[in-house]
Amino acid sequence: MPERKTIQEYLEIVEEQIRWKRARPVVSLELQRHLEDQRDAFAEAGTVPEEAERLAVEEMGDPVTVGTELDRVHRPRPQWGLLALTVLLALCGGFLRVWLFAGSEHLGSGLAQTALSLALGTACLLGAYFLDVSFLGRYGKAVYVAAIAVGLLSLWLSPRWNNVSYYTRYVALCYPVVYAVWLYVCRGKGWKGVFLAISGGVPLAAVCALTPFAMGLFLLLSVGLLLLLAAAGMDWFGVGRLPTAGAAGGCAVVLSAAVFRIGWNDYFAQRVRIAFHPELDPMRMGYQGMLNRLALSGVKWLGEGTMPRQYVQYPYEVAVPDADHSMIPLTIIFKLGWLPFLLLMLALAALLIWLLCRCLRQKSQLGRMTVLAVVLTLGFQLLFSLAINSGVVLFSAEMPLLVGNLHTVLDMALIGLALSVFRGSSIAREDGERERLVLRTVPRIRIAFQHERDTQNGGCVLGISLIFSKDETKMMESSSI
Amino acid sequence: MELDKSLLSGSMTLLVMKLLEDGDKYGYQMIEELKRRSDDTFHLKAGTLYPLLHNLEEKELVTAYERKAAAGKPRRYYRLTKRGAAALVEKETAWDTYAQAVGKVLKGGACCAGA
Repeated sequence: MPERKTIQEYLEIVEEQIRWKRARPVVSLELQRHLEDQRDAFAEAGTVPEEAERLAVEEMGDPVTVGTELDRVHRPRPQWGLLALTVLLALCGGFLRVWLFAGSEHLGSGLAQTALSLALGTACLLGAYFLDVSFLGRYGKAVYVAAIAVGLLSLWLSPRWNNVSYYTRYVALCYPVVYAVWLYVCRGKGWKGVFLAISGGVPLAAVCALTPFAMGLFLLLSVGLLLLLAAAGMDWFGVGRLPTAGAAGGCAVVLSAAVFRIGWNDYFAQRVRIAFHPELDPMRMGYQGMLNRLALSGVKWLGEGTMPRQYVQYPYEVAVPDADHSMIPLTIIFKLGWLPFLLLMLALAALLIWLLCRCLRQKSQLGRMTVLAVVLTLGFQLLFSLAINSGVVLFSAEMPLLVGNLHTVLDMALIGLALSVFRGSSIAREDGERERLVLRTVPRIRIAFQHERDTQNGGCVLGISLIFSKDETKMMESSSI
Repeated sequence: MELDKSLLSGSMTLLVMKLLEDGDKYGYQMIEELKRRSDDTFHLKAGTLYPLLHNLEEKELVTAYERKAAAGKPRRYYRLTKRGAAALVEKETAWDTYAQAVGKVLKGGACCAGA
């Protein structure tokens, strides 16, 4: 073996043995720090600097063996099973969108359009899968600003259908993930970070409100709150778990109160009432809900159902509004029966539950939050889509991977992002240093209670201490008994 | 006396995990600690330690986090997980059984140990 003299040369050889490029800098940094420690120790013992470095490298062992061993440990973890399940579900959705409406001229998706969306969706799935998620953390501010810019641009340029900015709806569906990245940016900034984290949701919510896209706004607020609570659980801002959770909860209460005070009017109250009782206004606001419930009343376990007597003269697709889009789940139930639909839902639920379980075991906090944002976004859409299809029309929601060509592309990209977190989990590293540094600089006030039995008098003693600390060092303590 | 390396290699995981039992440590610290505790007998190469640590992390027996060391430099600290602590107990028991068996053989077998 040729003699290696410098740390840099040694690290280069180690890196050459590691085939996964993303693992190289992560592994190399730890070895470099070790080599520097060893070199400094030799130098302190009186060895001249050049000799100290040479000895440190020699102590480390053969770089080829070390690199080969590390290469064996650090390999990407392929997620072929979940990728295949996602593509299979998307293919199934695409097939149903075309096949279920094959006889109708103006309904359903065109074959070419659907095939294109599936190809694009698969490309987005794989593109996101091979993406390095730590990139989102490194350029978090740029990602956040770009997301708002794209939202505003689409508000300006996108065509408006039914007074809704068409493409902005799809941009808004990415906002929960963008918010997760924003929370990561605000990490370790103390109360300023908490303020920035909460106020960072405002521009995103404004884009959703200007679209206007109620489901997008609801997703952002509900998923955003859950993400904020998760960030509080990890003490991301360095002010303590409970204070952060309190601030998040307080904001949620104030926001809900403001929404109810400003937005709760007769129309809104009527809409909520009719969502649960569509029979109160069967010909206007409750029409969709009524028809969905009527269609469901005549479905079978397997095979095509029948519409109730008063609608029997109309084909299902004509009687039920939006049967070829948001109501595709209902169309599947009506035309194919409960069994195929339940099997589809089982596969979709299995995918989401699997993602959630893997998410909770993630070491990387950014990765965990990203996957959580994806799973919650898709999960809420699934639940609201089930609600609307069963006749509870609250928000217009689309079933992930089954409804809409562009929607499917977006769902696949989001799932690809989640899978990329799992793929790179063996080298997931946190920038914990910054977090801990800030933790030390934030002053803390703690009240401690101690309850002890007085063995001499047989009574009880309650001690209360007020502790002021900074830099993780106790500055002052005041106790009373 | 120069120690036969093959004697050490099988028990290295046990030793590294044992080092983490009484507190979180970073790589360099572990090597120094092992040297000190073994009266300078065990000279663990860093090139052996890090793949071993990364392997343990992969198996979720240890977890790692970054923190500033006493000298002010950021270091990657390793901590024994609950699963790791349970595995350590198992490994220690297995080692005791093995060491006793080797001892008995070296002393002439179980029947003659007291002789």
